Amino acid sequence: MFKKVLIANRGEIAIRVIRACKELGVKTVAVYSTQDENALHTVFADEAVCIGPPTSSQSYLNSSRIISAAEITGADAIHPGYGFLAENADFAEMCNSCKIIFIGPSPEVIRRMGDKSEAKKSMTEAGVPVIPGSTGVIKTDEEARRIAGEMGYPVILKAVAGGGGKGMRIVREEKGLENNFMMARAEAEASFGNPDLYIEKYIESPRHIEIQLLGDQHGNMIHLGERECSIQRRHQKLIEESPSPIITDKLRKIMGEAAVKGALHVGYFSTGTVEFLVDSKLNFYFMEMNTRIQVEHPVTEMVYNVDLIKEQLLVAAGEHLKIKQNQLKANGHSIECRINAEDPANNFIPSPGEVTSFYQPGGPGTRVDTHIYASYRIPPFYDSLIAKLIVWGKDREEAISRLRRALDEFVVEGIKTTIPFHKYVIMTPEFLSGNFDTHFIEKIYRKELIEI
Amino acid sequence: MKFSEIKQLIKVVEKSDIGEIEIVEEGSKIRISKNSSMKQPPVFTQMDVTGIPQSIPPQVLVQGSPAPTIPLAQAAAAEEKLEKASSPMVGTFYRSPAPDADAYVEIGDHVKVGQTLCIIEAMKLMNEIQSEVNGTIRKILVENSQPVEYNQVLFLIEKD
Repeated sequence: MFKKVLIANRGEIAIRVIRACKELGVKTVAVYSTQDENALHTVFADEAVCIGPPTSSQSYLNSSRIISAAEITGADAIHPGYGFLAENADFAEMCNSCKIIFIGPSPEVIRRMGDKSEAKKSMTEAGVPVIPGSTGVIKTDEEARRIAGEMGYPVILKAVAGGGGKGMRIVREEKGLENNFMMARAEAEASFGNPDLYIEKYIESPRHIEIQLLGDQHGNMIHLGERECSIQRRHQKLIEESPSPIITDKLRKIMGEAAVKGALHVGYFSTGTVEFLVDSKLNFYFMEMNTRIQVEHPVTEMVYNVDLIKEQLLVAAGEHLKIKQNQLKANGHSIECRINAEDPANNFIPSPGEVTSFYQPGGPGTRVDTHIYASYRIPPFYDSLIAKLIVWGKDREEAISRLRRALDEFVVEGIKTTIPFHKYVIMTPEFLSGNFDTHFIEKIYRKELIEI
Repeated sequence: MKFSEIKQLIKVVEKSDIGEIEIVEEGSKIRISKNSSMKQPPVFTQMDVTGIPQSIPPQVLVQGSPAPTIPLAQAAAAEEKLEKASSPMVGTFYRSPAPDADAYVEIGDHVKVGQTLCIIEAMKLMNEIQSEVNGTIRKILVENSQPVEYNQVLFLIEKD
């Protein structure tokens, strides 16, 4: 086991990693920007090193400053958390060449799975279902028509150079294809300077369901079931749960095994998540892989009674996985709400500032992962996640009832938070019935309906 | 703290209502008590309670904690005038280009803008840290081969 781990992150995840390290008897080093002088993670860690000014590029995203901090404190490993440098293959490589263990998969795997088309190719090789579509650029509308005919409509034309939900056109039937093809090319040229398109099957009412993986460096890998992550706003997850209301035991086994197969095929180890899109007929398609620990990992921890960060540290230190797939038993239901410092009545505008009073919920099956305390001043420089509220219940009904109770107890004053928004969402018929997809939030959200 | 600063401090304490002031800064502590009819610090026992109030001024007895009063500000001002040369990076501080070479600067040296003050080593690369002012080195706050963090003050320089 490592003697000392440097946590290259901030906020709640830094505290989460420090907690796991402490329980394993590992010393911890926190890094912080000048803006984070009073941040809780600097207090929880055994040592803290100031690495730069507030801007992320000169602090939390700065590989050399972070590695220097590891060198001067004698840390033998770095945990990157999520975001920042967690999926930066160059950073992982730098750590390795400085003889510091990067807690995560190898740089090569990070690089391979970070490239969306490489990732898709790898999964196809492994026999994992991917979203059907062209393997490369489609040059003519005849080519598009042929592929669309093979896959079936609806299809979506996407700009190769696009992103952020831009440069996409849905085509529902063949007669609209030629026209849309021309317009999509023109739009792509105008927006991205590159008219090239590719084509994919368009999944109607998709649900975003991901599989948690854990593998050691000796070829052993297990999956810890799925997380339902369809409740999103602008592609940002808001509420996650495990298990998913629509996934059967049989489908879980199939998806889990597919994810494990795909990950092993690329030589993956450590914690990771394979994201799938699931359509209304319960067909699942590989979307992408996240080669890091995720924000929503606690819901899996609650259901499977596994400390994923401790496991991540152990496998990074070369230990063999002690948990066997057939030993893993899901128990109960867990839901997480991401609480952000944003004003839900004002288009979710960020709300930094001083937290004047703070009370976090407690009681059975209630967990809060947060770095906030009363009198803490939330800086405007970093993301707006201030707390994760996670509940566990013996079934989905109890979990929801517990979540409602816990949200009522949660006091954060001095800033605006999304707590009222969560209270509203979990009362909707769609949420209660489990009948929702990734379009849920945009469909039901009306700011007048929220009681502040 | 310079002797001239201490003299100034004593003068100001004499003129004010402050009975006692104590200032603690890096490596030094100074306490100045005013001569009053009480030679000993007040001992609060049952019997003495009645006798004490007269000689202690009604104001707060400043002791140990820096209060926002004029003398403290004046004492700190002298050091405030010194330019802080802070580390722009994380690494290990070295006073000279090589273990057996002379230090780049010593206390009392005059330095110009752009002149190398020290080296900070990070990830096996040596980075020369340059002065941003013309002035005289008054204090060196870190030791050779000491780890330093971002913004840590390395030198105090009296500007020309």
